[in-house]
Amino acid sequence: MKRRDFVRSVGRTVGLSVGASLFGFRPTVRPSVSPSLLVPMDDAQTDHLKAYGLTYRAIQAGLKAEWLLNYRGGSFLIPDLDALRRDAALNGIRTEPVDSAMTTVRGEIEANNMDAVPLEKAPKVAVYAPPNAAPWDDAVTMVLQYAGIAFTKIWDGEVMNGGLKDFDWLHLHHEDFTGQYSKFFLIYSGMSWLAEMVQRNSDMARRLGFQTVPDLKKAVARSIRGYVENGGFLFAMCTATETIDLALAAHDVDIAATFADGTPLDADADAKLDWSKAFAFTGGHIEPNPLVASFSDIDGHQVNGGARRQPLGAFKLFNFSAKIDPVPTMLMQDHRQVIPDFYGLTTSFTRNRLKPGVTILAEEEGAPWVKYIHGDLGKGTWTFFGGHDPEDPQHQIGDPPTDLSLHPHSPGYRLILNNVLFPAAKKRELKT
Amino acid sequence: MILLALADPGRVARGQAIGPGFELERAGRYADAASVYFTTVRGDPTNIPALLGLERTLFVLNRMPELLPLVQTARARQPDSPALRSLELRVYAALNQPDSLEAIARRWAASAPRSDAPYREWGLALADRRMWAEARHAFLTGRRALGGDGTLAIELAELEQRAGNWEAAAAEWARAVTRSPDVGPNAASQLADAPAPLHDRVARVLTAPSVSARARRIGAEVLLTWGRPTEAWAAMQPTLTLPDSEAAPALRRFADLAGVLTSPEGHRVRGLALARWADMVPWSLGARARAESVRELLDGGDKVAARRVLEAHSDSNGIAQAALIQLLIADSQLDIAEERLSAAPATLTADDRAALRLALARARVARGELDRAAAALDDDSSVAAIAQRGWIALYRGNLKSAMDAFRAAGPYALDRAAATDRTAMMAMLQRIQEESSPEVGAALLTLARGDSVAAIAALRRAAARLPEQGGRLEVLLLAGQVAAQTGGDQEPTAIALFDEIVRAGGEGAAPPAAELEWARLLVRDGRSAEAIPHLEHLILTYPNSAFVPEARRVLERARGAIPKS
Repeated sequence: MKRRDFVRSVGRTVGLSVGASLFGFRPTVRPSVSPSLLVPMDDAQTDHLKAYGLTYRAIQAGLKAEWLLNYRGGSFLIPDLDALRRDAALNGIRTEPVDSAMTTVRGEIEANNMDAVPLEKAPKVAVYAPPNAAPWDDAVTMVLQYAGIAFTKIWDGEVMNGGLKDFDWLHLHHEDFTGQYSKFFLIYSGMSWLAEMVQRNSDMARRLGFQTVPDLKKAVARSIRGYVENGGFLFAMCTATETIDLALAAHDVDIAATFADGTPLDADADAKLDWSKAFAFTGGHIEPNPLVASFSDIDGHQVNGGARRQPLGAFKLFNFSAKIDPVPTMLMQDHRQVIPDFYGLTTSFTRNRLKPGVTILAEEEGAPWVKYIHGDLGKGTWTFFGGHDPEDPQHQIGDPPTDLSLHPHSPGYRLILNNVLFPAAKKRELKT
Repeated sequence: MILLALADPGRVARGQAIGPGFELERAGRYADAASVYFTTVRGDPTNIPALLGLERTLFVLNRMPELLPLVQTARARQPDSPALRSLELRVYAALNQPDSLEAIARRWAASAPRSDAPYREWGLALADRRMWAEARHAFLTGRRALGGDGTLAIELAELEQRAGNWEAAAAEWARAVTRSPDVGPNAASQLADAPAPLHDRVARVLTAPSVSARARRIGAEVLLTWGRPTEAWAAMQPTLTLPDSEAAPALRRFADLAGVLTSPEGHRVRGLALARWADMVPWSLGARARAESVRELLDGGDKVAARRVLEAHSDSNGIAQAALIQLLIADSQLDIAEERLSAAPATLTADDRAALRLALARARVARGELDRAAAALDDDSSVAAIAQRGWIALYRGNLKSAMDAFRAAGPYALDRAAATDRTAMMAMLQRIQEESSPEVGAALLTLARGDSVAAIAALRRAAARLPEQGGRLEVLLLAGQVAAQTGGDQEPTAIALFDEIVRAGGEGAAPPAAELEWARLLVRDGRSAEAIPHLEHLILTYPNSAFVPEARRVLERARGAIPKS
């Protein structure tokens, strides 16, 4: 099963699904004959985050699982095996044996805005992060580690040497793809961690034959775009969302400050940006001040923008039709519909900077920004989630790492894990 | 109405004129905002808010050259306006014209020969452009022109800090604080951020023999902030040989900062500082500080210094009496302490008296003098005394009386650690059927007296006399915990004890607790892989045990899935 096939078929069959019952086609629900364990994902669950790891490990072991979209908070169905019971018990995950009751469950799914999606192949996960980045620097690596989902760290060298093709799912660490070191260069001047970051990036640029770090990052951004076009799943948070699009749009334009590449940014940069190359955004204006750790007006909150900084609110997940729009439905499975917002260098995405066709998955009602967006590119898909750490809303440099064992029910972290399991979903077989 | 009438009509009009500009700027519409500001300046060429608005917006729009003629016009009209002079310098800096910038700054300086403002603004304009060397030149030019070692020292200190030259920053802060003591707290706070590898060098600058007392005191504060109290006190002491008017407040601040430290050295240094401070302030304040100083010195393990403080001020004040008796108890002179306590003057408060009786009882217990410990408590009916009587009963082997006393004392007697100790002991005692066990009591007394190795052996002997499901496992668990905490040669004993308890199994809390302790011991020794099967066994065998959540947490750590916090 190719993930891109799944995405394509689901995307194309929206109309068919609506009328499927008219043709006598039962699209998803296939009774399971073997005993199963239900992994409830509503408030009965004792560790929501680890539940994803349990399901991932089940399919990684070659077992079949199902994702019961919108059923009890997006529950999972896994085979009732001793090994999985043991895994669940060790990790404090609640499971419920279901046998005869499953018929009732399937009836409920069929009759409501729910669906059952088979999960078949555990995606190979890559995290784009500098070699020295501790797992605790990044929400995704933290939650993967906590849930027990294996991942491989890759960086510029691997990306530029074609290493992405070995992975189904790529997460972008909070990288600044404009090559400006998150614009901390001036603010944190003299700090050893910054000096190390500059040195490492400069060395890598030199090793890969680029004159400047911004040039290298633009090339990396292009490779990532190519990966998605060829069917990869991309998930990005925080700065990576905004800056990868800026880097793609600025392929022939200097948008980096003097400290990053030795030349001032192009005075006419805004006008020269080519947004057709970007994933999600269009029409953004570059923040030219090198002392302001903000990249453009794509971010709605401007956490480092002085007077432009906006206060945090809460974002609300959209309610999609599970049978018609399974992809966004999968990405939004949660036991909470309204989630407190959290800052990042890029916290949110201004509505009027979104490209037409971008699917908004979560937004702050009445605000000019959205939080969580998704879209297709070529044969692949991308998902952008603003903010740095869902359980550390005011995250500051030097803060202690978030201990996820204290947040086993985090609804924000669930959204991240939805993305990891989403590529495991099996293409629906259609009778045409 | 009155406010409007009093207000300057011209200023109100100026504010109204640029109001829309602010709004547009806030919305990120810089070009539109600039248009509003331009319009305002055309009608009012010296409108500073509008010119500053143009400075902000034109910088973003990369159109700074347009601002220069407007600023020059304004400055020509108001040549004495520092705001316009500063703005002119910043515009030249933004246009990257350092030569013109210098010429303008010097011209301004010539018109105001005693002001440091031209040099400050000149340097700051360059520093904002990260032109460190040029900025330093500007500030030093000002220092030379105006004279005075501390002239523009704050600006130079901040410049050096931004440039990462922490030693130079320290030297400038030392000059700044010598010139003006008010900048001291800021200097200490700024220098506290110096990267750890540079701490020694920064400290050397601030504590060099040639620096002023004020600078040394900053050095002492910075060292305290870095958690180096002994060196901090060594830096502070020489500034007190000839006390000046700032010595007392500086010492008090030093003592307060030391109060944050929880190490024995921190307590000791705070005690020393308080003792010196007590000598500099009025009698009533000094007496309290002296008593606090003695307590701190005792917490810091410096009985000699504590005694010296008391001997130097052997008055009849109650606070000093309490401290003196406390010192005697700490010094194991229990008979003298008892005598003084019974003859203590009425100035000793009831709380102090009760606390000293309790301390004396504990000290008697530590010597194994249970009768005298009980006598020390006298007729004290406080919950703390009841709890202490419970321990004395326990050490006598009277388990039922101990349980009754612990129950009567309740969960709030003394601090949380003491309450936890009592609860843990009650959990053990309730598994033991017998009302009396001199062996258990003697073993626990040995433990209370600090002889861990003998206590482990005694606890094992006492356990052997109890039924397996009637307290034996719990007593063995305590022996294992003591052995694990003792470490070293006792670790194999701990593991053997935990193994014995886990193998015995049963309904009580001891088996899962022993397995958790076993796993913790292995993790502590870097043998996480060996700990994991124990934790898994615990979780799967005792799913309803209260130890399961903690076992899962240790399991996560053993697997490296959650960070050490």
